[in-house]
Amino acid sequence: MQTLIYIIMVPMVYAAAAIFVVGIIIRLVVLLRAPANPSTLQIYPEKRPKWLWAIHDTFLFPTVRRHKPVLWVFLILFHIAFLLLFIGHLELFADFQLTQIIAHDIFLGQGFVGLTLSICLLFFLFRRIKSPVREISVPEDYLLLLLLFLTVLFGSQMDWARTWYEYGELTVEDYRAYLLSLVVLKPDLPFATTFSGHSFMLVLHIFFANLFLIFFPFSQLMHSILSLPMNKLRRG
Amino acid sequence: MDEKTKTELLTLFKNKLNRAMRYYLDTCTRCGVCTKACHAYASTGQVRYTSAYRHELVRRLYKKYFKLQGKVWPAAGEAKVLEDMTIKELYDAAYSCTGCRRCMVYCPFGIDTQMIMSIAKLLLVGASTEPELLTMLADMSIEKGKSMDVFKESFLTGIKKLEGQVVEKWRSEAGETVIPIDVDGADLLYVALAGAHSIIPAAAVFNAAGEHWTLSFFEAVNFGAFVGDPTRTTLILDRIISEAKRLKVKEVCICECGTAFRVMKHLTGPQPFKVSSITEVQARYIREGRIRLDKSIVSDTVTYHDPCQIARNGGIIDEARYILHHLTDNYTEMTKEPKYNWCCGGGGGLVAMGEETLDFRMTSSSIKADQVRKTGAKILSTACENCHTQLGDLNDHYKLGVDVKFLSSMVADALVR
Repeated sequence: MQTLIYIIMVPMVYAAAAIFVVGIIIRLVVLLRAPANPSTLQIYPEKRPKWLWAIHDTFLFPTVRRHKPVLWVFLILFHIAFLLLFIGHLELFADFQLTQIIAHDIFLGQGFVGLTLSICLLFFLFRRIKSPVREISVPEDYLLLLLLFLTVLFGSQMDWARTWYEYGELTVEDYRAYLLSLVVLKPDLPFATTFSGHSFMLVLHIFFANLFLIFFPFSQLMHSILSLPMNKLRRG
Repeated sequence: MDEKTKTELLTLFKNKLNRAMRYYLDTCTRCGVCTKACHAYASTGQVRYTSAYRHELVRRLYKKYFKLQGKVWPAAGEAKVLEDMTIKELYDAAYSCTGCRRCMVYCPFGIDTQMIMSIAKLLLVGASTEPELLTMLADMSIEKGKSMDVFKESFLTGIKKLEGQVVEKWRSEAGETVIPIDVDGADLLYVALAGAHSIIPAAAVFNAAGEHWTLSFFEAVNFGAFVGDPTRTTLILDRIISEAKRLKVKEVCICECGTAFRVMKHLTGPQPFKVSSITEVQARYIREGRIRLDKSIVSDTVTYHDPCQIARNGGIIDEARYILHHLTDNYTEMTKEPKYNWCCGGGGGLVAMGEETLDFRMTSSSIKADQVRKTGAKILSTACENCHTQLGDLNDHYKLGVDVKFLSSMVADALVR
């Protein structure tokens, strides 16, 4: 069992990170080497500056707000929560003055960020079961939502345990020691990360996160990178 | 499907994979925001007419043959093998899509369904299963370009016969040519459709404005674009570009034909002439005081249908309204925002395919009929031949009781000396 845990928490993490980075780079190189479209793909009337409107479209999803307002609320909550969790994970590597402008404990949001994300993911999952989204969905769509939900759920459980139930066996210092050891290529698994009562949550969190990262470059998740240039095409 | 055909079709597919196309094929999250955008889905409720469903048919082939995911784990994205049944599905998707790009306004990423459908159409051409009529019409246009001398005499005779009707709308000065053709150094080359209705009103307005113009030998419509064949599209386009260059004109003015305008405006690349729509040109004449219009001619309530390729996809929106406000005080908008205007349901070659598509065009456009009815207008104006035909068919089918008119004809009828 300890071997399996080690594989998930060390070599699989390296492999997932490598596939994630190299996969995205290859995808982007293929895209950038492809010839540009010979004509404009713009929609009119146009608004200037086009770049600013493209950024507006990319980050505020105005078309979703207009046509599916409930979905828009969940999407905005999801993306904000995702960003906060990303910042939270960065803070596991080191202290950043910039992110501590508003002083907070690690993680941000006292457990509610993870809760929000989990609810949003359940909403995204269940709305796919309803027509007409059901007919246009493919297994990849459900799989990604499930993977992300499981990653968030097990990750949040650890946060909730510390924040809401004063569970103290697995601490931020333990996570930080583990992550920094991976960064400096001297992998070390602190005792608490593998033997504490909640260590299985950490292992499962990392396992599902690894799968998510591995799948990322080959899936529709590339929309997170391609949305801006695509919206720019629409804006002209 | 034999291997040779499959290989040829996949080569055609690969040639369409430029950067934008890859963006569109890589990115869809199937969020379903676009579902309400398509008039065919809104009218029939059939999911196969949603834009995401349409481009997923193409995307599954893309995954199978051009993406690692489709090769390693095809089930995840439902990657699909190219076979005869696929071709049938592509036909259904491509020739039920009018290429109006209304769904592009809805999509959070701006995925261009028309562009994705251009792959489907090209595969149909490659498999020789495209609508024969469209290919035949495209080939006739190309042939006309190659053998102009054969057609020239009959064309000139036909045009001569129209002069009387032009003069009825606007009497030219003595000695002036009513419909000038092949005028070297003219300021404007007008590219009409093969029909008197496309030439007579335009000629009257040009003459009234004192334009130094000339009529093209060629018709504007590009059947190559309808059938989704880039080679034929370019050949048809090149006839007009060559003529414009030979005559050294400053401006090429495209008649009321949405596809012709968009293809000419966006696909010609940098040229020594500018490309305008007739709506733009007529609005300019009014603005510059070169023509004046009599508002008393039009007494009923008028509404305007924005042709998708001219408005949402071509940017000619305000000009039509500018003209209409000089034609009448009794104008009512069809939609608050023109970019959300419902497609008439006749684009993408559907009207050109005639009776064959009539049933589908009517059932898939009931939402358009409802939109027209709600305006309460008696005159339904538009600036596109396809839209005009389709709206006329809808008018008959749904008994809308409107008079469908070309905007340029309304301008010609209201000219004031």
